Amino acid sequence: MRLTARQREMRDHGTPSVRTAMRLLIALGEIYGADRLLPIASAHVAGASYKMVGDPGLEFIADFARDARVVVPTTVNPLGMDLERWREQGISEEFAAKQRRIAEAYRAMGVRESFSCTPYLVGNRPRFGDHVAWAESSAACFANSVIGARTNREGGPSALAAAVTGFTPDHGLHRVEERRATAIVDVRARVRGYAFSLLGLQVGRVLGGGIPYFRGLRGTEADLKWLSASIASTSDCAMFHVERGTPEWRRARPKGLPRIRVTDRDLEAVRRDFTTGDEADIIGLGSPQLSADELRQIAALMKGRRPRIPVWVFTSRAARDEAADAVRRIEALGGRVLADTCLEVTMIENVSKTVATPSGKGAVYLPTLCGQKVVMADVARLLRRYA
Amino acid sequence: MRLAGRSVSAGRGGGPALVSAKPMSFLGGVDPATGIVRDPASDIRGECVAGRVLVFPSGKGSTVGSYVLYGLARHGVAPAAIVNERTETIVATGCILGGIPLVDRIDPTAILTGDRVAVDGDAGAVELPDVIERRAATAFLRNRGRILILKRGDTAPTFPGLWSAVSGSVEPTERPLARARDEILEETAIRGARLVARGGPVFVRHDATVFVVFPFLFDVPTRQVRLDRENTDARWVRPAELPEYHTVPRLSDALAAVLPQGA
Repeated sequence: MRLTARQREMRDHGTPSVRTAMRLLIALGEIYGADRLLPIASAHVAGASYKMVGDPGLEFIADFARDARVVVPTTVNPLGMDLERWREQGISEEFAAKQRRIAEAYRAMGVRESFSCTPYLVGNRPRFGDHVAWAESSAACFANSVIGARTNREGGPSALAAAVTGFTPDHGLHRVEERRATAIVDVRARVRGYAFSLLGLQVGRVLGGGIPYFRGLRGTEADLKWLSASIASTSDCAMFHVERGTPEWRRARPKGLPRIRVTDRDLEAVRRDFTTGDEADIIGLGSPQLSADELRQIAALMKGRRPRIPVWVFTSRAARDEAADAVRRIEALGGRVLADTCLEVTMIENVSKTVATPSGKGAVYLPTLCGQKVVMADVARLLRRYA
Repeated sequence: MRLAGRSVSAGRGGGPALVSAKPMSFLGGVDPATGIVRDPASDIRGECVAGRVLVFPSGKGSTVGSYVLYGLARHGVAPAAIVNERTETIVATGCILGGIPLVDRIDPTAILTGDRVAVDGDAGAVELPDVIERRAATAFLRNRGRILILKRGDTAPTFPGLWSAVSGSVEPTERPLARARDEILEETAIRGARLVARGGPVFVRHDATVFVVFPFLFDVPTRQVRLDRENTDARWVRPAELPEYHTVPRLSDALAAVLPQGA
């Protein structure tokens, strides 16, 4: 790999953490055939929930933070708890103390305390064509597909290494020729609202990866957030195109590619397949965290009725502040609007055995990460069923 | 012997080898406080990785496994070095974070548990001081889709009585291809062999010796074979039939190195 004088200087004479970061980027670049490191516009790091990274992750992050500072705007994924309301979540004192140490380490490195899996909604929004280094599979997929920024699906440490050096290896989705479609998806279904989650689950599990090119699909940016999250949960997919819908669809070159078809029946089948429980004991909304608009929609859908099981809503601190009125209405009806954390990276298993959720990503990870059964349905239906 | 690979994580480390034939998962698979392998699916369950040269084909599982490798190093129970066939992101990341030397592109079957191993993560090389390297050339002769195999004599110095291709030891000053051509004449008396393909070396571990086998594929104009005294039988077989024969180790792998799938 060719390095600039500045990059060599960081590798050989940076602080111990910067030297480690540079060596990591070079090694990963060589594994994937990169011949240089690219400057990045921003980073988004993962590995913040104590539940996910455990004591080894805590030790690494705390050690690394001693002599590392981020050099590009950097946001960080959700923690394992709401920093203020963790007692309501049934979190232990020990867990909370360790979680606070992780949060403190990121703060000390100059990472913005976003604790969000939707960095693009909380002030870390790249421009079209920007190279970035984002962990969090749903956010990386959204950045590539919907914004037209360029990132691979980074791991926690590689995104952190990029954040403290300002560079990422030039391979994969950083290269224009690697951003072309690899399969056509003919959507022969009415896809609205939460069906975008079902569509992502289905296409991900059929294709397993690559870059799908959707035909017959129209969705808002909010819809494509849910598609990004679910498709990245059942596959390695880190980018898709929507014909006439996403910024790079004209460069996708779908002609002659293998094609699959998705019908209403497929979407119903995927909903059934991911529904593993009968009666839920909590409704969990998030994964990814809800936007301010989505909080307002939930408040409206509750229609003044108090659900008979708990409703936990996961959002970013920024969205919770922005939609303060909706938050008050949800909480007045017994709901809890939690920030800094998300559906499956917190200890939902402390309070539940079966979660009802419209989230495709939640439906994939709640069974493995939280030992939960899942009931999948859209929010309106869930609020009616558990009214 | 010295095995040349690729440097992934710098530094040097040595110790007795601990070899697993399976992909390794570190999260939940290895206890970060003690270095003991916990994964019930592992073939080295219950072993301790501390201070040993850990050899396995590749990593798998959760990306949090990188932090586990870091934790092993921080608690002083990390492997002295790691050797992989093909390193992926999780193990590469963990080794660099933890300062564990790592070399990949090494055939793990060349190393046995208990071997003394020295890993040079700077040069990308692995040294096995107690293991002797012997080079061999193996020539697959092909005629109308069939491959010639020969049965080694019962008094052959290595692998007596097993089926092999045309083969012979390569002297230090000799080129493997030249040896292959000489062996074709000596063992079959077939003339006019035309080289079609040559493959990367295949390692065959046998006691304290590693045979570094250089495979070649030749098309020959005849199936008329005149055996010399080394071999006792000859057969022309379809490549798919090879597993039915009791062959020298890794003969199928050597053939696969020169014969594209389905050809």
